[in-house]
Amino acid sequence: MKKNLVLIAAMMVATAAFAVEIGQPAPDFTGTDINGKTIKLSDYKGKIVVIESYNSDCPFCHNHYASGAMQDLQKNLAAKDVVWLLVDSVNTKNFSYRTPAQAQKEWADLKIAATAWIDDHSGDIGHLYGMKTTPHCFVIAADGTLVYDGAIDNRPSPFGDPRTAKNYVRAAVDELLAGKPVTVTQTKPYGCGVHYAN
Amino acid sequence: MRPCAPILFLLLALAATPARAAHTEAQLILSADTARPGDTILAGVDLKMEPGWHTYWKNPGDSGQATEIKWTLPPGVTAGEIQWPLPKKLPPAEVTTYGYEDEVVLLVPLTIAPNFSGKEMDLQANVAWLECKDVCIPANQTVTAQINIGAETKTSGNAALLESWKKKVPQAAAIFSFQANWENAGTNDLRPLIIQGQQIVSYFIPLIAPDFFPEASDNFEVQPATETITADHSEIRLRKFVKKFSGDWPRQISGVVVIAGVGYEINRLPIGDPAPAGGMISSTANQPQTVSQSLWRMLIFAFIGGLILNIMPCVLPVIALKILGFVSEARSKPRRVRQLGLIYALGVLISFLVLAAIVIGVKSAGHHAGWGMQFGSPIFIVCLTTLVTLVALNLFGVFEVTLAGRALDTAGELASKHGAAGAFFNGVLATTLATPCTAPFLAPALGFAFAQSSSVIILIFLTVGLGLASPYILLSWNPAWLKFLPKPGAWMEKFKIAMGFPMLATVIWLYAVAASSYGKNVLWLGIFLVIVALAAWIFGEFFQRGRTRRGTAFVLVCILLAAGYAFALEKELNWRTVMPVANAGSLKESADGIDWQPWSPEAVAQARAAGKIVLVDFTADWCLTCQVNKKTSIEISSVRKKIKDLNVVALLADDTHTPENIAVELNRYNRAGVPLVLVYPKKADAPPMVLPEVLTPGIVLDALDRAAK
Repeated sequence: MKKNLVLIAAMMVATAAFAVEIGQPAPDFTGTDINGKTIKLSDYKGKIVVIESYNSDCPFCHNHYASGAMQDLQKNLAAKDVVWLLVDSVNTKNFSYRTPAQAQKEWADLKIAATAWIDDHSGDIGHLYGMKTTPHCFVIAADGTLVYDGAIDNRPSPFGDPRTAKNYVRAAVDELLAGKPVTVTQTKPYGCGVHYAN
Repeated sequence: MRPCAPILFLLLALAATPARAAHTEAQLILSADTARPGDTILAGVDLKMEPGWHTYWKNPGDSGQATEIKWTLPPGVTAGEIQWPLPKKLPPAEVTTYGYEDEVVLLVPLTIAPNFSGKEMDLQANVAWLECKDVCIPANQTVTAQINIGAETKTSGNAALLESWKKKVPQAAAIFSFQANWENAGTNDLRPLIIQGQQIVSYFIPLIAPDFFPEASDNFEVQPATETITADHSEIRLRKFVKKFSGDWPRQISGVVVIAGVGYEINRLPIGDPAPAGGMISSTANQPQTVSQSLWRMLIFAFIGGLILNIMPCVLPVIALKILGFVSEARSKPRRVRQLGLIYALGVLISFLVLAAIVIGVKSAGHHAGWGMQFGSPIFIVCLTTLVTLVALNLFGVFEVTLAGRALDTAGELASKHGAAGAFFNGVLATTLATPCTAPFLAPALGFAFAQSSSVIILIFLTVGLGLASPYILLSWNPAWLKFLPKPGAWMEKFKIAMGFPMLATVIWLYAVAASSYGKNVLWLGIFLVIVALAAWIFGEFFQRGRTRRGTAFVLVCILLAAGYAFALEKELNWRTVMPVANAGSLKESADGIDWQPWSPEAVAQARAAGKIVLVDFTADWCLTCQVNKKTSIEISSVRKKIKDLNVVALLADDTHTPENIAVELNRYNRAGVPLVLVYPKKADAPPMVLPEVLTPGIVLDALDRAAK
């Protein structure tokens, strides 16, 4: 029996190892952005941080950017001093991998209005946060605790206007700014699987 | 969608139209060319994917999107829900999805109103899917088909294809009963769920590769990783983790239980509360109702298992004795035949009671008991080898077993030799020889029994005994059934001698088992057996059949036996002390054989940490089923090659001398004894696959292949 309990405990750890937990401090990470700048999550302490698992070849992501809805949200939140980090965990062998130069061009072409685009081709940050899909999103409160983990909105579609959906990220940030507890803390992320390195 | 697609539609508007997207081809097919008003026909959206591309099931899993079908139908025609064929679980593990590769036909029943008028109609559907390989592409195609309306239904050329896909649609399980319960309260948002399925009807399908594909839900997610706790002939038990996003924990669960590649739909199965003690294996057994249910099932299993034991290789030699007994009894008075049948059964049952008592005793002494564990004792082996040698000599006619001590030499008198004592002895012998074999049905029943209270152990053991004895009780009750047997006569003496040879074979087997305990010294057991044989001959020839100097003969027999025992067994063999068994290095049987390493939990952990597939064979020299499995399905060239190709670590857990931790491991998989073969997949956190008791090369190769994925 004791052995069984140990087994169960081990499994729980195994299952939860890569996932982050709501209400707990969001794990810190350091990455390099497409301009070669070092990005450290803990440097943004005191600010609300949005993390978005990014791959614009994924039709779900693509639709958010092609429609301009994502950039609008990024601009809107940036005006409220919210940090927005794109985490691109696509491995270097994948069709969707962007070299820094390609990424800089894409940033300009799509008029991305985020704080930074982190090149996470090792998948370290993606795994640390248990990013399943693009766009899987996270919201971190100013005190560094994780308050939201899940889908960007309730409209899992690669077509149409995302502005018509209930945007969970916007809602969480608005609630944080209003000093209210976040209502929806977890949803099932939708989209394409993240193309991690093996 | 390609720009040219609409033009393609115009050109081919009236025929069933293949429409081409980037990497998937969609086509609408119908089960009938002509249908009557009131008919329900089957429509299929046939999606053909290029190699490497896949589309998704109704629950796409961690990512992806389910295919959607939007119908444009004439008034009076209604489309039902999509019937989804069983999908595949698609890697990688970190983003597991449920989908289809190569081809799938999504089925939709179309119902035509009884008052439908018109001669023909066009059916049109817009199919939207997400196709993924290294990238994902949403595609959206319109497909059409045409059907005639007439007085008679005419099936189409596609009917068979649709029917074959229909068979892949999971149905409610008729042959399984499923249960679900929380294993414990888990954490804030993650809870272990146990899904359990028990086979009701057919038994011989090995319940391999069980899995559960959940239906999608907004409030929670059943994570894709599946841990198989049990998968044997009778039962599967899976552990899944449920992650809660919002709201309360779900009270019911829907999805598809997959067993041996077939899907069984479960629809809103209520989820039971965690068992109070948090037990893993006995979590449901703690509920009284389940215990009584499974006790009934296990009693039935025990009976059938006992019945099957009769034809397992261990017991076969005893059958020879029984056949002889029946031949000689066939013409006796029915009352006498019945009496002997009952005495035989009594012998079996009392032996089983003794076994149950031993098991209870061993358990209460704090040790792990196992079926056939006495075969781990060399002393027992020596005694049994001697006994079976004597049985063989008796059959050869070297000496007789009679209460009077005088030989009876005519065939007509043979019957009385198989009197009450003989029948009882046969029962005891059958049971003793049966214990190193487990049979289908028997394994789950005994595995269940060994973990239960003393009364349940006794009950199950007695039921196995009843099963073992039942054919003879039945035959004794209806001696008329024996009339096809030949008349007793001189031939019986020859037959009896012939039957001595299977007994000799048993002796050789036991001798080989003893060899694993005594090493080269086993020679002295052989010499002891020869002395015993000589003593038996003198006993039969000069004491039983002799006219003079019978006293001298008897004394000589006693001296021979005493000397043989003192010299061969005590002095030379030192039979009560067992040599320690070397337990390191390769246990390879031949140059090209599998490179077996000794099993230990640490060895498993080490190999898995190195990312290797691990094959563990829990076996024992005395376990005939294990030896048969090894010869037919493990130490064979195809498996050897597979093991080499996949770089599998092969570990041998030899239960011959019953090390405690092997018993613990067996109990963990609900087995009371060997054989147990486990295959641990490459993925380090995936649970081991439990192979069935009786193996085929296919089962082993298949399990290894799956482990490599």
